[in-house]
Amino acid sequence: MNTTLKTRTPINWGRIASYAILLIFAIIYAGPLLMLINTAFKTLPDFMKDATSLATSLNIENFSEAWTRANFPRYLTNTLIYTISATAIYTITAVFVAFPVARGYIRGGNYILTLFIIALFLPPALIPQFQMMLALGLYNNPLGYILLFTVNPIGIVILVNYIKTVPIELDEAAAIDGSGYFRFVISVLLPLIRPAIATVAVLHAIGIWNELILPTIYLTNQDYYPITRGMIVFQGVYGSDWPTLAAGVLIMTLPMVIIFLVLQRYIVSGMTAGAVKG
Amino acid sequence: MRTGYHFGSGWGRYIPYLFLIPGLLLYLLIALGPSVATSVFSFTDATGIRGAPINWIGLENYREFLFLGRASQDNYAALGRTLVFCFFVTTIQFGLGLLVAVLVNQRLRGTSIFRTLFFLPVILGAVIQGLIWSLFLYPLGGPMARILEFFGTSSQFFGGPPPEAFASVIFVQIWANMGFTMVIFLAGLQTIPDDLYEAARIDGASSWQVFSNVTWPLLTPSVNTNILLNIIGSLQAWQLFLVLIGYRNGTQVLGYLIYAQGFGQTSGSVTSSFRQGYAAAASIVLFLLVLVLGITTQNILRRREERILG
Repeated sequence: MNTTLKTRTPINWGRIASYAILLIFAIIYAGPLLMLINTAFKTLPDFMKDATSLATSLNIENFSEAWTRANFPRYLTNTLIYTISATAIYTITAVFVAFPVARGYIRGGNYILTLFIIALFLPPALIPQFQMMLALGLYNNPLGYILLFTVNPIGIVILVNYIKTVPIELDEAAAIDGSGYFRFVISVLLPLIRPAIATVAVLHAIGIWNELILPTIYLTNQDYYPITRGMIVFQGVYGSDWPTLAAGVLIMTLPMVIIFLVLQRYIVSGMTAGAVKG
Repeated sequence: MRTGYHFGSGWGRYIPYLFLIPGLLLYLLIALGPSVATSVFSFTDATGIRGAPINWIGLENYREFLFLGRASQDNYAALGRTLVFCFFVTTIQFGLGLLVAVLVNQRLRGTSIFRTLFFLPVILGAVIQGLIWSLFLYPLGGPMARILEFFGTSSQFFGGPPPEAFASVIFVQIWANMGFTMVIFLAGLQTIPDDLYEAARIDGASSWQVFSNVTWPLLTPSVNTNILLNIIGSLQAWQLFLVLIGYRNGTQVLGYLIYAQGFGQTSGSVTSSFRQGYAAAASIVLFLLVLVLGITTQNILRRREERILG
């Protein structure tokens, strides 16, 4: 008994205060998410009677209702098509810009890198971009929409920095073995720079997945809407039916949360690197 | 530092150029070209109608934006709101982000859960962020309404009078992006060597003295990054306004005004739509505002850094 008294540490007020403050923040951060989940399982009359009460039963019909009425299959498919194809095009073209720049295989590589960064310090491209897409007949056109997401200067900076850490002897060895430029990049370099590719691709994909302004500007046909735009339309129609709306928002949120939890390291490191470099 | 090219000789040396072209071309076409052209369009009466003639009208758009009666008063009001938004978002997000970063950087159990939770909203995007808070701030018996009710007050939040709606958007904007500020501070905190803290503690420094004499000065690079990013980001942010309150008089910021003028929505006393030349001029005004504030801030921060870090 005596020993337990002796080893007991004094109350650490700093630690308690830290936890108290963090807990308040945690409530502000988790509260809205919990409210969303709770509402998604409630019935509309339940919600109207008391918006904050706990769901008494698991009313999963909200999800099927949101799924069909919000036209989710179509919007989700569109978003997936846009995100995957634009990210793939971007990542491949970016690697073929970053690799020769990092290696000095082209003349004026540093100027090219500067050229890529300079757009970050120029006025927004929105209006001339729209005029161009209009003139090219790419307005309200999924292909044109995908084209808008094939550029991201920060990703190129991240790739250049990472490729510089890959020993150049690999290039020499591969060349002696008779590998061509294209084959080297695809089959030797890409696997080696996988962490950087993951970071760049995930950040780019998240941006496309979340984009709301560009689909509002460029896509007028409902059949082309991505999930973000579809969600806003759904909100306009079902604005007062929060249980169904919450179920829809939850369906849209879950993939992002899962991707985030799995790839958190890449996302955070990529965003920090991008911020410090930019 | 140029190194030899290994994958061929003669014409083969140009293969890297060939594969670089798609990426470069896309960049010039989608980003750099249009960026540069914005100032050109600001001197025209371009509309959003395909095939409509575009005329050179000189400084007319700027004159209208800055000096033409009611419309320009609305613009100055939007400009003022943009600065107010920027001020509150930057200062509060900076302060809270620093506080939270210092707290979760301690050796405490569960800090990684807190970090994950605080960063999560950053990747959710404006639509989800906005809808989540529309629900939480549901004025008829939602959790926040209940809390206010308990204190004998009430609010319509996003549907309330303009200042109330505006303040609510500032709140959500900070909630959504504080995690990013926190992460940059955390990266800075992790570069501070442990022995500095230990030395300070051995000298008998209090927690506050450790923070103000060790942590804060050594955190200067992250402080600079965060202040600049917050200022530049919040001056241009307006997506949450779109999701949470729409284009409502008394709440518009410049970014939203540009979008509304260029892509069709009514604005205060001006009710024309697709005025893309005018919107281009407005976006040049916003761009100059960002540039001037950004450069001024950077100069102040650099001078401060030289003073602190020598």
